[in-house]
Amino acid sequence: MERISRAIKRLDFDEKIDGSARYCADIKPEGMLYARTLRSEKARARILAVKIPPLPEGYFIVDHHDIPGKNIVPIVLEDQPFLAAERVNYIGEPIMLVVGTDRQVLEEILAGVQVSYEERPPVLTLEEAVAPQQEYIYGDKPYFVEYRTSRGSLEEARAGASLVVEDEFRTGYQEQAYLETQSVLAVYAEERVTVYGSMQCPYYIKEALVQALGWSEERVRVVQLPTGGGFGGKEEYPSLVAVHAALGAVKSGRPVQLVLERSEDMAATSKRHPAVIRIKSYIDDKQRIIGREIDISIDAGAYAGLSSVVLQRMTFSAGGVYNIENIQVHSRAYATNQVVCGAFRGFGGPQAFFAMEMHMANIARKLGVDSLDLKRKHFFHRGDRSSTGGLFQHDIKLDEIVSEIEQMSAYREKKARGREGGDKLRGIGCAVFFHGCGFTGAGERDLLKSKVRLKKYPDGTVEIFVASTEMGQGVLTTLRKIVAAELELPLQNVIHHYPDTDSCPDSGPTVASRTVMIVGRLLQDCAREIKERWSEDEVDLLREYVYPDNLYWDNECLRGNAYPAYSWGANVVEVKIDPLSFELDVTGVWAVFDVGTPIDEKIVRGQIEGGIVQGLGYGGMEVMRAQQGRLQQTNLTTYMVPTALDFPPVESKLIYNPFEEGPFGARGLGELTLVGAAPALAQAVEDAIGCQLQQIPITPEYIMELMLDDQDD
Amino acid sequence: MIRTISFRINGQEVQLQTHPLRRLLDVLRDDLELSGSKEGCGEGECGACSVLLDGRLVNSCLLPVALAEGRDVVTIEGYRQTERFALLRNCFEAAGSVQCGFCTPGMIMAAEALLRENPHPEPGDIRTALSGNLCRCTGYSMIVQAVLLAAREGEGLW
Amino acid sequence: MVKACRPRSLMEALEIRDGGEDSILLAGGTDLMVQHRRGSGVLPDLPEKTMFIGHLSELQEVSVEGEGISIGAACTLARLLGEPNLPDYIKVPLAQMASPAVRNVATIGGNICNSSPAGDTLPMLYALEARLLIQSRRASHSMAVEDFITAPGQNRLQPNEILTQVQIPAAVFDNYYYRKIGARKANAVSKLSFFALSRREGQQIQELRIALGAVAPTVIRSREGESLLAGLNPEEIIPVLPEVWACYQSLIRPIDDVRSSREYRRRVALALLENYLRSLGEGFL
Repeated sequence: MERISRAIKRLDFDEKIDGSARYCADIKPEGMLYARTLRSEKARARILAVKIPPLPEGYFIVDHHDIPGKNIVPIVLEDQPFLAAERVNYIGEPIMLVVGTDRQVLEEILAGVQVSYEERPPVLTLEEAVAPQQEYIYGDKPYFVEYRTSRGSLEEARAGASLVVEDEFRTGYQEQAYLETQSVLAVYAEERVTVYGSMQCPYYIKEALVQALGWSEERVRVVQLPTGGGFGGKEEYPSLVAVHAALGAVKSGRPVQLVLERSEDMAATSKRHPAVIRIKSYIDDKQRIIGREIDISIDAGAYAGLSSVVLQRMTFSAGGVYNIENIQVHSRAYATNQVVCGAFRGFGGPQAFFAMEMHMANIARKLGVDSLDLKRKHFFHRGDRSSTGGLFQHDIKLDEIVSEIEQMSAYREKKARGREGGDKLRGIGCAVFFHGCGFTGAGERDLLKSKVRLKKYPDGTVEIFVASTEMGQGVLTTLRKIVAAELELPLQNVIHHYPDTDSCPDSGPTVASRTVMIVGRLLQDCAREIKERWSEDEVDLLREYVYPDNLYWDNECLRGNAYPAYSWGANVVEVKIDPLSFELDVTGVWAVFDVGTPIDEKIVRGQIEGGIVQGLGYGGMEVMRAQQGRLQQTNLTTYMVPTALDFPPVESKLIYNPFEEGPFGARGLGELTLVGAAPALAQAVEDAIGCQLQQIPITPEYIMELMLDDQDD
Repeated sequence: MIRTISFRINGQEVQLQTHPLRRLLDVLRDDLELSGSKEGCGEGECGACSVLLDGRLVNSCLLPVALAEGRDVVTIEGYRQTERFALLRNCFEAAGSVQCGFCTPGMIMAAEALLRENPHPEPGDIRTALSGNLCRCTGYSMIVQAVLLAAREGEGLW
Repeated sequence: MVKACRPRSLMEALEIRDGGEDSILLAGGTDLMVQHRRGSGVLPDLPEKTMFIGHLSELQEVSVEGEGISIGAACTLARLLGEPNLPDYIKVPLAQMASPAVRNVATIGGNICNSSPAGDTLPMLYALEARLLIQSRRASHSMAVEDFITAPGQNRLQPNEILTQVQIPAAVFDNYYYRKIGARKANAVSKLSFFALSRREGQQIQELRIALGAVAPTVIRSREGESLLAGLNPEEIIPVLPEVWACYQSLIRPIDDVRSSREYRRRVALALLENYLRSLGEGFL
């Protein structure tokens, strides 16, 4: 293990352990006003009128008329307004804010507002979206974007097949359930607006503010505060609440705090995309999979948001860890009049790997072979090409990962012993998966163009200036470790504050498992240069990301290296099913990952444990469904987030496989740890009950349905 | 409707003129400037608002302040002055139990509530004691380890 | 305007209740503060004057005597879990309710008066044939818990009355079985629950009580089903199962809701019942 991997005390530990860390809702500047949001009650309607009750002195409203710039969120397709004007497209869409000093009064005003709607027929399911429509939600098609990737020839595959296996899988919504809801504080002073808050991407927010206000960039500033969890849920949504609060601050000249209520946050902010994935595989007479067709539909909700990017990642991950010569993927992100879906740890990967791993298990069953043996036969190796034709130029340690996890979990023995185990049914399942690190395709090169700043002061301290945000994943510690290790400085000589767009360049959003690998590496390069120039009093370096010349990406044809790097992993989950209640009990969890060099062992372990529990929740208890366009689980009583009693500890190991383009050999980690848990869980349940599973979340009700159907057959 | 409510907060007597049905959490955060207790859900599900009431763990988002009348309330701001906290702090650090930190004050209060009743808990007891405190970042195991470690190292403290 | 009052004694509370102004009784408040929640920094919108009664010492006594057990209605669940003389079968359902922090505040009287079909104290209380002591300023009377609760969220408490005690008649049981089915292992509203108590002499069943929660508008007991099993020896149980089953089939009327389905609740309730009876029959319990 590298020396840097040795765990240290987190640099944000002290303020968090004793309650002194000040999150957004803890900060109440003098003269501060509160804001609450009026949201659409209809899934699809024209707004005919909004009747506001008489407002007491000092209370005012903010609506689309108050937007001096463009009432369009600057995100990919530019179809989403900050505040609804003539129409609403989902229940929960923001229409207006009420602002004032007393929350009791705000609540009463909100309750007294009357919106008259002219309802339009909404599109409420993927099935409805696919069917012919009178009035499309976006443009002239039922979907926002469509992708096709292809490698090799399906004709050849069909011709050579002696077995065809076809499956359809479904995945549901998932809610990030960060403990701290969306929160921002906007301050208007001296012709500038500053938004402080809970966020992952200060520069996304800055761009949104500039767009909405129509001001020049220097008049807008964004500062991140300690953030109580993000998981992707604070990638794009904060841009909306930031603009809302800022409009209030500009209108009143007073600071405005906007903190979403939990039920509001759950009902109205971005979720993980539900997906329907169909896979058809062609297998030859030597039990080799020679071709694949994959069809993906995701429910994007009412606006495009980040759906195109999520869909891309799902498309590029759909083939799994398997080297299939002939593979075609066709995917679409459909518009429905439901909550807008967006970023959530894994970002399309969890859906894709659930489908592929379950499908592989099904093929194995049909061939009468062990699923891990079948999977192993098709693993990618260095020198192979991905489903988009990108060359894998580094060692891929899947064989080692799987051997390790088989041993750790005693997978083979447990698989062999069969499902009867006392009064419960036992099962064990294994998922193998990857996560592409960094922005999809050449996004790092074409979209982000990350810049980092590292400054050496005369007193020998060095300060990091990046846009990367600490949300629990350890950014304030890992980036400092990298710089300190490169410069051979004690850690306390390296300074790193929460990002402020006034002083930090745009190093890109804190997403896509890119922060350590890309931003960290850029900082390491700066540190190297500062080391050489250490004799100079002051050195202030700005460095921009350079797309490696051994990578290639064509965004038109979707060909080449879909990601700058990949991290790999396997999960094994063991379950017991109660045949009386169909309840599932996870009795063991194992994980083996290759993330290159861990920058901090404890931080990595924390990400592993947390990501896996979140992934097990996704596979099992986290049920979120919509009915008539309204989410049914919008509080923590009805949406089941795992508690301390629900899952056993995870036994994990890392494979040492340093990545020379990463800082000290590191690759990305944050999302990989969630991706494989649900498919491992699902295969374990299949193993226990002897029925094929085709959807997650796996509830006892679903298990009952499967087992009873099976009995009937 | 204003009433006088008197109680002890972190060892100090306070007397407030306030509506008796106001949530204790709002009184702590807004009137007493004690923002260490957080609002994560407002309905007693997440435990981020946990405080000790006469030594027992309660969700301050559910407690009308009238129920604090004549009683002892301890929040993270009071607890962090104690030797027990100092040990828990070191153990949480050693075990890597803090990520985003939002659940942390509540977890600390829950740990104290457990250890004062049961100074030598098994991991299962710890998990039960923490079962009303949600954490989305850590997956719990490292927090359980921290409490176990504190129980072992804390001879005589609890 | 949200109003509240804090009587100094049970007598004062009853006098206020007798005064004619409607009031809502709040002991722990863990259900009421959620049901009437309006948001951060906002008062709960309790519709009538709220009367705090959780502090009244007259409602906090626990006694375990020859004639039975008496529990003050404002006893918190945690308090009862810590009472050394209460039998385990009373504690086990309480221990699985909500979370430690909620159990420290929530009261047995509150759970009864909330009268939810999924109220977790209820199957146990129905099986134990608990009686409720209900007092008004001028009178007091007792009522069986199964007569008290009439429909989901509804009970027979009059505007001038307060539930003051839960009384459990003395009885001897040598075996109990409780199963709560929730969506996760802690802090979950019950999808359904099953509670059973029995007493045998040798192998013969002398007393058998079974109650099912959250599978009908109110908790289910079937006297008919229980009487079919009374006096039986283990080997006689399995042959009468179909008849017993039929008694419960008609009583089990669950619903589809956000937590679970009618079909699941029905099947699992019957499966738990069958499993329990077979275990009795096979001498496992």
